[in-house]
Amino acid sequence: MNRAIKSRLSTSEMNYFPDEVIEHIFDFIASHRDRNSISLVNKSWHKIERYSRHQVFIGNCYAISPERLIRRFPCLRSLTLKGKPHFADFNLVPHEWGGFLHPWIDALAKGRVGLEELRLKRMVVSDESLELLSRSFVSFKSLVLVSCDGFTTDGLASVAANCRHLRELDLQENEIDDHRGQWLNCFPDTCTTLVSLNFACLKGETNLAALERLVARSPNLKSLKVNRAVPLEALTRLMSCAPQLVDLGVGCYENEPEPESFAKLMAAIKKCTLLRSLSGFSEVAPVCLTAFYPICENLTSLNLSYAAELQGNHLIEFVQFCKRVQRLWILDSIGDKGLEIVASSCKELQELRVFPSDPHDEEDNNTAVTEVGLVAISAGCPKLHSILYFCKQMTNEALITVARNCPNFIRFRLCILEPNKPDPITSQSLDEGFGAIVQACKGLRRLSVSGLLTDKVFLYIGMYAEQLEMLSIAFAGDTDKGMLYVLNGCKKLRKLEIRDSPFGNAALLADVGKYETMRSLWMSSCEVTLGGCKRLARNAPWLNVEIINENESGRMERNEEDEREKVDRLYLYRTVVGTRRDAPPCVTIL
Amino acid sequence: MEKDGLELEITELRLGLPGRDVTEKMMKKRGFTEMIMTSSGSNSEQCESGAVSSGVDVEKVNDTPAAKTQVVGWPPVCSYRRKNSCKEVSTTKVGLGYVKVSMDGVPYLRKMDLGSSQDYDDLAFALDKLFGFHGIGVALKDGDNCEYVTIYEDKDGDWMLGGDVPWGMFIESCKRLRIMKRSDATGFGLQPRGVDE
Repeated sequence: MNRAIKSRLSTSEMNYFPDEVIEHIFDFIASHRDRNSISLVNKSWHKIERYSRHQVFIGNCYAISPERLIRRFPCLRSLTLKGKPHFADFNLVPHEWGGFLHPWIDALAKGRVGLEELRLKRMVVSDESLELLSRSFVSFKSLVLVSCDGFTTDGLASVAANCRHLRELDLQENEIDDHRGQWLNCFPDTCTTLVSLNFACLKGETNLAALERLVARSPNLKSLKVNRAVPLEALTRLMSCAPQLVDLGVGCYENEPEPESFAKLMAAIKKCTLLRSLSGFSEVAPVCLTAFYPICENLTSLNLSYAAELQGNHLIEFVQFCKRVQRLWILDSIGDKGLEIVASSCKELQELRVFPSDPHDEEDNNTAVTEVGLVAISAGCPKLHSILYFCKQMTNEALITVARNCPNFIRFRLCILEPNKPDPITSQSLDEGFGAIVQACKGLRRLSVSGLLTDKVFLYIGMYAEQLEMLSIAFAGDTDKGMLYVLNGCKKLRKLEIRDSPFGNAALLADVGKYETMRSLWMSSCEVTLGGCKRLARNAPWLNVEIINENESGRMERNEEDEREKVDRLYLYRTVVGTRRDAPPCVTIL
Repeated sequence: MEKDGLELEITELRLGLPGRDVTEKMMKKRGFTEMIMTSSGSNSEQCESGAVSSGVDVEKVNDTPAAKTQVVGWPPVCSYRRKNSCKEVSTTKVGLGYVKVSMDGVPYLRKMDLGSSQDYDDLAFALDKLFGFHGIGVALKDGDNCEYVTIYEDKDGDWMLGGDVPWGMFIESCKRLRIMKRSDATGFGLQPRGVDE
């Protein structure tokens, strides 16, 4: 085809195709960003895209209203919603701050949306919402709740009882009030469609008989994660009737299993030849881990980060045989030596998370990890692209070596347990180390920094971290310049969260337009004042500027406050629907 | 821009300790030793009233320098994980220790650490584990339907039914635990519940 003809195949040509054809082409475009782009091409495409959009991701539930969502995407089937800001995970956001699910379910039900999937993160969910959900959407298939709270097992009972085509019920790290009712019994006998069931975070009793019957009649069940109330014998029976499992979360083991029960467990495990992912182990004796030796070579994902009872040597013994593991979550009790062994055994490793077993060093723990473990991993695991590493100390030399070994990092989150800790060998800040990371890792999208850091590290980040989307800062920097380097340099920045750093009004107000390109900004225990925040709110009406106070003495005192008063916590985010009306007294929206 | 910031700093009232020569840089850098986890969780109050200088003990710090002070939300481990895998010592637990637990029909006495449980659910689970079978814990929440009854002796020497009072109140007053058969419990002399049934 010659160039002249090629250049005329433009969108106007495409408009001669019937809508169904264009829609069919759009079906191949799954990414949200691409979808957003094609909807901007022209009115016709906008309309076709609207009606063919089935999956929507909303990173901040207050950026838009449910009514506007439904108006634009009436054929919505799958919705992801995120509520509270990230630092809510660390108790920095009051419990009643917001992120309520109910208005969304209410609107979706009234709008007769054919909802099939709902994924929520840090939202407040009530039993009433779950009940309404279960009754309003006949094709509902999948409910995934991550770090949510506000509901009980009664809400789960409604979902079990009423969602006839339920395939997935995945509860991850939620705070659920366990009424120890019979929610598992509420799955009707006719329910045979389950593919994924995760109730590991439930604290109470589990009706074992009901669970076994449910598993037995679910031939498609691929993922099962039970809670700690499921003992060894029950686990054996479950695995025996579900040898097709791909993903297993183990509950509780007695400390000294009888040899016979142990043998039966091993036999059941051997039959699970499709098992690729293992997690749980919150109460387990070391010997029980050995029951999984027959299948450990098949594992691609291993999460032992809740196994606080396991000693380092037992962890090492097991992990070194997991030669195909790609995703490994573990406690720092594995030690540097253990990480060296992981580095030599697990060549397929892509994502590593090392959590602290003793976050406040109460036991004067000497087995926590240091820079030695990180360097070993970087040298031994060529496919590594994501890391979350809690450690006692870090050196610039180590970070420079890691950067050289692993230029492919997408996520690099380093948390040195003691704030402001310098390089222990040189006593210098870690600016150069992190600078090396951002310079080498051209695809870096997420970064968390820690240790002693000056403004310089932010100069490096602003200069080199071109793809950076999320940055977490704590106890770092010297002046407003630090924050300015980041805001000016990181063009793709979406989320910035800062705590206990000396950034103030000058940085906050320098470029108000920047916040329109970002999802949100969090600043707590910094130097911004009430006056600065008020000025920002005046200049940027498209932002919600929220001040979160510790004392709930109400809004009356606010007017008398000195504008030079420093703000406890500031959370601002872009929105198209203005001030939210569900804020509690401790939140003031400017 | 920075100049504006400087001017504001100069006019701001600061309550520093007298005779201290605090440089601008030290003022801006906030040391984490000032931030103490108080019962209300507030940390800005301490920072405003004390000297803003890292490494210096603010007068409100009660701990010795050797003891580690805890900063709210640090290290950044999410609260679910803290409760379920870390060896955390909560500052709200005071004077808790081991209590004796006896169970009818079991010849030996056991001891358990009430402080390692966070709520009645945790306690129920721990009791089940202690005696090696399930069903004891149910008594705590769903008392009427269970073969067993969990009772505890409080500070006044009275025997009370477990599970009635809020958790915090329970752990402060519980001196020992006893698991007895429901049939034996009537006529035992349990203090009546406050609420009429």
